Order: sequence, then C-alpha cells, then structure tokens
Amino acid sequence: MSYKFDWSILWGESGLLLLDGMVVTLKLVGWSLTFALLLGVLAGVCRWVGGRVLSPVTWAYVEFVRNTPLLVQILFWYFSAAYIMPKPMVLWVRDLGFEFASVVIALAIYHGAFVAEIVRSGLNSVDRGQFDASRALGLGFGKMMGLVILPQAFRIVVPPLSNETVSLTKNTALALAVGVTEIAYQTKYIESYTFRGIEALAAATVLYLVICLGLTGIGHLASLRLSRHIGKKHAVGTSLE
Amino acid sequence: MQWEQVWSSDNLFRLMVGNLLHGKPGGLLITLAIAAISILLSTILGAGVGVMRASQARWLSMPAFVYIQCLRNVPLVILIFWAYFVPPYFKLEISKFASVTIALTFFTSAYIAEVVRGGILSVPPGHVEAARALALGRVQIWLWIVLPQAFFNMIPALTSRYITALKNTSLAFLIGLSDLTDIGKEINARLMTAPIEVYMTLLLIYFVVNRGLSSAMRRLESRPRFNRLFLRI
Repeated sequence: MSYKFDWSILWGESGLLLLDGMVVTLKLVGWSLTFALLLGVLAGVCRWVGGRVLSPVTWAYVEFVRNTPLLVQILFWYFSAAYIMPKPMVLWVRDLGFEFASVVIALAIYHGAFVAEIVRSGLNSVDRGQFDASRALGLGFGKMMGLVILPQAFRIVVPPLSNETVSLTKNTALALAVGVTEIAYQTKYIESYTFRGIEALAAATVLYLVICLGLTGIGHLASLRLSRHIGKKHAVGTSLE
Repeated sequence: MQWEQVWSSDNLFRLMVGNLLHGKPGGLLITLAIAAISILLSTILGAGVGVMRASQARWLSMPAFVYIQCLRNVPLVILIFWAYFVPPYFKLEISKFASVTIALTFFTSAYIAEVVRGGILSVPPGHVEAARALALGRVQIWLWIVLPQAFFNMIPALTSRYITALKNTSLAFLIGLSDLTDIGKEINARLMTAPIEVYMTLLLIYFVVNRGLSSAMRRLESRPRFNRLFLRI
C-alpha cells in the first residue's frame, strides 16, 4: 500500500463540487421521472387497450427503445435534437441548457418504455371479473378505470416502479457523456484535478447508495402500506426482501 | 439525408471490426467480446451468490444480500471508474478492456443473483420432498431436481439481464475504449452534418444484435428441446 489517503479534501472545494453534482442529479431524476411516468402510463394504457393503430405503434416504441443502449440514445438526442425539433422548441430548450434537456428527453423516452410494460402488466393482473362487474353496473370507460381498475393495479405496480426509479437514478450518471455536471462528472473532474480519485469515488459511491437505498426504502414502505388491507404476507415483494 | 455517406463500405467495416487491419480491433467485435465474457462470468458468479441468497442459513444469505444491494444501488459508470482509475494508484496496470469487463461482470452478477434466487424459490417444495423420499443426497437434489427446473423458470428473466448487459457495454466508450459506440461517435465527428443517420445506424445495429440474442434465448424456452438438451429425457 503505497497510497496515502487524504479524506480532508472532501471538506474543501471537492466536497462542494460533489454536493453541486448531487443537486443536478436530483434535478435530472425529478424531471425525467415525471416525463417517464406520463409517457409510460399513456403508452401502457394504449398498449393494453389495443386497437389496430395504437397497439403496433406502442409495441414498436417499447421494443425499439428497450433493445437499444441508453447512452447511444442520449448521444442521438444531444446531437440531432436540433434537426428534429421545431425551431421555437429548440430555442426554448437551449435556454434551459441543451445538455440537460437532451438527457431528460432520452431518459424519459427510455424509461417510459419500461414504465409502459409495468403499467400494462399491472392492468393485466386485475381480475377479469372486475371489468365485467363494472360494465354490468353501467360504468363508462373513464369511471371504470378511475374507480375500479387503476386503484387495484396501483398496488401491484408500486414495487416494480420503485425499482425502475432506482434504475433511472443510476442511469442519470450517463449524463456525464454529454457534459452535464452531475455526481459522476464531478468525480471525474476531481480525479483529474487533485489526483484524489479514490476519495472522490468513495464519496460518490456513498452518495449514490444513500439516494438509491432511500428510494428503495420508500418503495418498500409504500408497498407495505398499500397492502395493509390484505395483510403483510400478501404484499407485493420489493428488492429489499 | 446522407445515408450513402454514412453507409460507405469503409464506415461499415470500421463499425464492425474497428481498426483490425492495423492491429487495433474495435467496433462490434469488441462490444460482443466484452458482452460474451462478462455474461459468462457473471452467470457463474451470480449463480453462486443467488444460491447463497436463497439459503436458509443467515450467515450465508446476509453477505449475499449486502453484495447484491451494494452493487445494485451504484451506477455502472462509478464501478467502471473504480476498476479503471483506482488500480494505477497502487501501481497496477489494467487495460481498458479488462476494467470494463470486470466492472460489468460484477454489476450484472448482482442482478443475475436475484434472478437465480427467484428461480430457486419457484421450484415447488414438493419436488424436493419427493427427491428426499427417494433417498437422493443433498448434492443430487440440487444438481438434478432444483437447479434444472430453476434454470428453466429463469430463462425469460435471464434474457432481459443479458440484453441489459449487452446494452451496458456501450459505457466502455466513456473511458476511451473503441467499442461500437465510440466508432460511431468518431464517424459522427468526422462527417459533422449527419448525426441522425449515424446514431440511427448505431441504434439499429444494437437493436438487431439484441433481438438476435433474445430469439436465441427463446429457442431454449421450448420445454421439449430444453429437456432433451439438459435433462436427457
């Protein structure tokens, strides 16, 4: 062991850089999770309802996105969003920060596909009799979904959604490829400017562990709470079991 | 649109094998090599950890739990940085290829361990009891009763883990290994005016490879063929 650890660097500028990075990471998570959930629920319900146009379109979306790497998708949006999007939107996105926005778009589209599959399997897990019963009671599509189906599907969907949130949080680290200053970027920066790579990496690892385990814990508690009417034993398992 | 420029034979050749003619393999070749090695190693490692995790003994399952949680809750980028930036501090040489493969192996093994554990728990306890009633030993029960059935139940989940591993090889370019993504980025930088075409090409190549992988795994899923291959019945 020829290396001398110097943990005190974390209490100086490097520590502040990492905290700055954490704020950016959390912002990325917040924005992209919101859009991923919106897109995912929309695509999942469309795929579940089916139809001659909707179901092939959503199938192609989910299949293509799930079989290609997120990193390449981020690069795709970063380099070609300006060619694809209408001009006013490009200007608006540029003011927000082009790197940040392209990562949010890529993450939302990528994780939206996974959320769509989760939502679809949640809807499929609701008993067929529930649909027939709500039809028989004369509920329309909106009331049936809002009052009968979605509340039941929600309980099933929460644990996989919390896993997906953790996975999204980890994937925000890929933003360093286009230069968004989140935790992984700051770690590399500290590594190359102070040659204190081990300390910086250890701190970044701890930050990610805290964020991700916190999210998993919230998902676990939510799952237990949503299943309290049927007893702990029948709660849908999370990755903390 | 400049598809002809992007799909020139030179570019396609470089995307497939990189600078192989000058002794520097890259492109899809390196991507597939990383994927194949780390899938193989992480399946072995993950099976071991998964069996530990499914064990009733706490001293076996607790370390496996900690291993899985620690690796699952940290981004792969950070693991790659650990494997690439840290050894030089201790005066150890490590190649880019080796550090990516090692990081990806450990990362994937945590997920595979969870899959293996789920597969083991899905074997009905009656089968184990029946085997015990037939006086099979502990090793025989694991080898001939539990693991083959568990493996069969695991195939769909394993497929998605393998595809994730293949997609994750694209992170190799972050430390400058010339994999498929890196070559694509280089072509994009050279052409400058055709990002849509270049990245669409990259996405299509990854898509085709991943679909190929999942259809190969689906062939295993047919029960009669599986039985012939692994159980000899």
